Amino acid sequence: MSPTSKEMSKKITDEYMDEAFHAHERGKLIGYSTAISPVELFVAHDIIPIYPENHAVANLTAKKGAELCSVVESMGYTNHLCAYARSDLAYRKTGITVTKGIPEPDLFLACNAQCFTLTKWFQVLARKGNLPVFVFDTPEHVMDSNTRKEIVKYCVLQLKELISFLEEVTKRKFDYDRLKEVMKYSAESSILYKKFLDMAQYKPSPISIFDALIGMAIAVYRRGTQECVDYYQTLCDEIQAKVDQGIGVLPKEKEKYRLYWENLPVWFKFSDHAKLLGSYGGVILTSLYVHAWSFEFDLDKDPLVTLAENYVSRFSNSTIEDRADMATELFKKYSMNGMIMFMNRSCKAVSFAVPTLKEILTKRTGIPALVFESDMGDQRFYSETQIRTRIEAYFETLDRLQA
Amino acid sequence: MWDNLSIKEVAECAKDPYPSIRKWIKDNGKKAIGSTFADVPEEVIYAFGFLPVTIMGTNKPLKKAPSHLPDNACSLARSNLELVLSYEGDIFDGFVLPQVCDTTQHLSDIWRINFPDKYVESYLAPRQADRPSARYWVKEEIERIISSLSNWSGKKIVEEDLREAIKIHNENKILLKEIYDFKRNNPSALTNKEFFALMKLSQQVDKAELNQSLKKIKDSLQAGKNDGYTDVILVGITCDPPEIYDLFDEINLNIVGDTLLVGTRYIQGIVPAKGNPVDALTERHFKRGFFSPIHDNVYKNFEEVKALYKETKAKAIIYVHIEFCESQEYDLPDLKRMIKNEGILMHTLDTEYQTLSLSHVRTRLQAFFESLKGGSL
Repeated sequence: MSPTSKEMSKKITDEYMDEAFHAHERGKLIGYSTAISPVELFVAHDIIPIYPENHAVANLTAKKGAELCSVVESMGYTNHLCAYARSDLAYRKTGITVTKGIPEPDLFLACNAQCFTLTKWFQVLARKGNLPVFVFDTPEHVMDSNTRKEIVKYCVLQLKELISFLEEVTKRKFDYDRLKEVMKYSAESSILYKKFLDMAQYKPSPISIFDALIGMAIAVYRRGTQECVDYYQTLCDEIQAKVDQGIGVLPKEKEKYRLYWENLPVWFKFSDHAKLLGSYGGVILTSLYVHAWSFEFDLDKDPLVTLAENYVSRFSNSTIEDRADMATELFKKYSMNGMIMFMNRSCKAVSFAVPTLKEILTKRTGIPALVFESDMGDQRFYSETQIRTRIEAYFETLDRLQA
Repeated sequence: MWDNLSIKEVAECAKDPYPSIRKWIKDNGKKAIGSTFADVPEEVIYAFGFLPVTIMGTNKPLKKAPSHLPDNACSLARSNLELVLSYEGDIFDGFVLPQVCDTTQHLSDIWRINFPDKYVESYLAPRQADRPSARYWVKEEIERIISSLSNWSGKKIVEEDLREAIKIHNENKILLKEIYDFKRNNPSALTNKEFFALMKLSQQVDKAELNQSLKKIKDSLQAGKNDGYTDVILVGITCDPPEIYDLFDEINLNIVGDTLLVGTRYIQGIVPAKGNPVDALTERHFKRGFFSPIHDNVYKNFEEVKALYKETKAKAIIYVHIEFCESQEYDLPDLKRMIKNEGILMHTLDTEYQTLSLSHVRTRLQAFFESLKGGSL
């Protein structure tokens, strides 16, 4: 019997971490990377990418955020920096983690298409070990098409510099043919990943954003590999089977509210939120965040050009107007009738767009929005009663509107 | 209007330059183009015949900005937004806004959406500075800003326009540098507040006019009794509200060096006079000192600060932290540690643009310098 996607995910992750922990014995280097980075170059150059964000998510989901963040404040960092960074810096000091930890880095790749914060966080880590950092600078994907072309040229130049940087660090020549192969896997898995996300269009939706958040992990850390492609093929097949049988997250008659979520999740409230919303007939279907790994690589183009075009145009590096267009498209495609806008104290890159985005989206769709403020990982900024009350009030509003 | 100001009048005008700017653009039939920090090539804006104005926040209450930017956003960003949304927006026909971090990136978008009838352009500064691509990109961006201003205004500029603008801007910086050199050795000649008012106003009003005042002020400076001052250097991005300089003056601190955008980093922007002016402006970008959002190497910042400390023979460093400035907050713990390990005394000032009461700052500052006097000073 073929393995399930869950079994595949576990196997891929275990093997990946095993390889990472034994990288030096096998003559390989560990490259810390931001989750939205042209990591295809690492994969093609046999550098094992490690994402400190993923490790942080594991700790924050396991409710270790407040404990770790308190430690980092005693080190002189303020409590309004990113909880990923805060918990990671505290992990380095205390060793506290709910996983086996992550291997130490040899080099860093920081792409600011995701956020500026990550580059600063990586610089702090690099200083501790006096290690090399490459900042892949992606200017905002502004709306003017000529400027976009210039930005892509600048990014391609930097990718060439990145290749030279990798060659210098590893003392090995970069293999462009290998990059083409990696790009092929990345392109295929991205198409399948998007297909998986888009299955939330069905009624009832067979997946919620919580499934998407679990399902996106392999796209984040194993893109550019055959096993990543195989995983998403299996996942799509499984979800399609649910669709064929009419199985939804909620039964069809109970699925009242198909919701949009803006921002990263509140990791330590992950399952609580799913249950709470479900009790009101609400299912969060999607967000711009989970679509950040829906790349559309054009294999007919120079790999560096298509990499530059894709990474620079992620939602997190797009103008607020473009983000609003992307979200509007999702509203139409997924037939959503509610939206939850999370003002995440940890993530300035996403959250500072939220007030404006909310204004635009409510105006365009006519759908009211629930806005709440908290932190994705630090429980000290989460007010249980207040947020629960707001969620209840929001569904009452939606009920009234529907009536 | 700004060509015959005394040092006291400059200080007064710098507190609130907007009424005079409003009158000047009306009298002269000019347009004002606002920018925020940092590194927008203001010479380009000037070459088009516009008045470049660096927007540096307001001390007036926040009314509209909080609905656009939450309370954990950099207080300078919120203050700048408030200034244009509630108070001085009418002065400006357009804006060229630099993007150097997440906050300024969003700020550009919010600004553009809120001013649909004005010219709003982003200056996409590179957030890396050590590789050849950064140089390529700065030049591209300068050329793009020229083209954008030209499209908007319908005007064309030639090399000579840029050269003339560069000349005036260079003269401004040279005059400020000369005054700084004098002040460094003659702290009684002008207060810290007065000196940094010259720096601030230079970035906000017509430099051709202000240079006339600066020349007269420079010539009028007189050495006096210089005993009892403690030499310090200021490290950071900006130092606001201006009343903080009063606190320095109260306890006879003499700022002999700094790394501020409203200080030395502005003066470092002198552009090479020869060669292609766009190349020269590009070159200038890389000659300026450390600026946390675009430079990744805190060791370099530390080395710069240490060299300045030694060169000026200062007795201590005052680090000015802007509340909620992420970039500074990632750098600061390591920078503090490096400075401490070097045996240099450092005091951190936490500042916020809308601060009305400085009593807590005064108390901490006084305590720090009292302890110094009992020790090494």
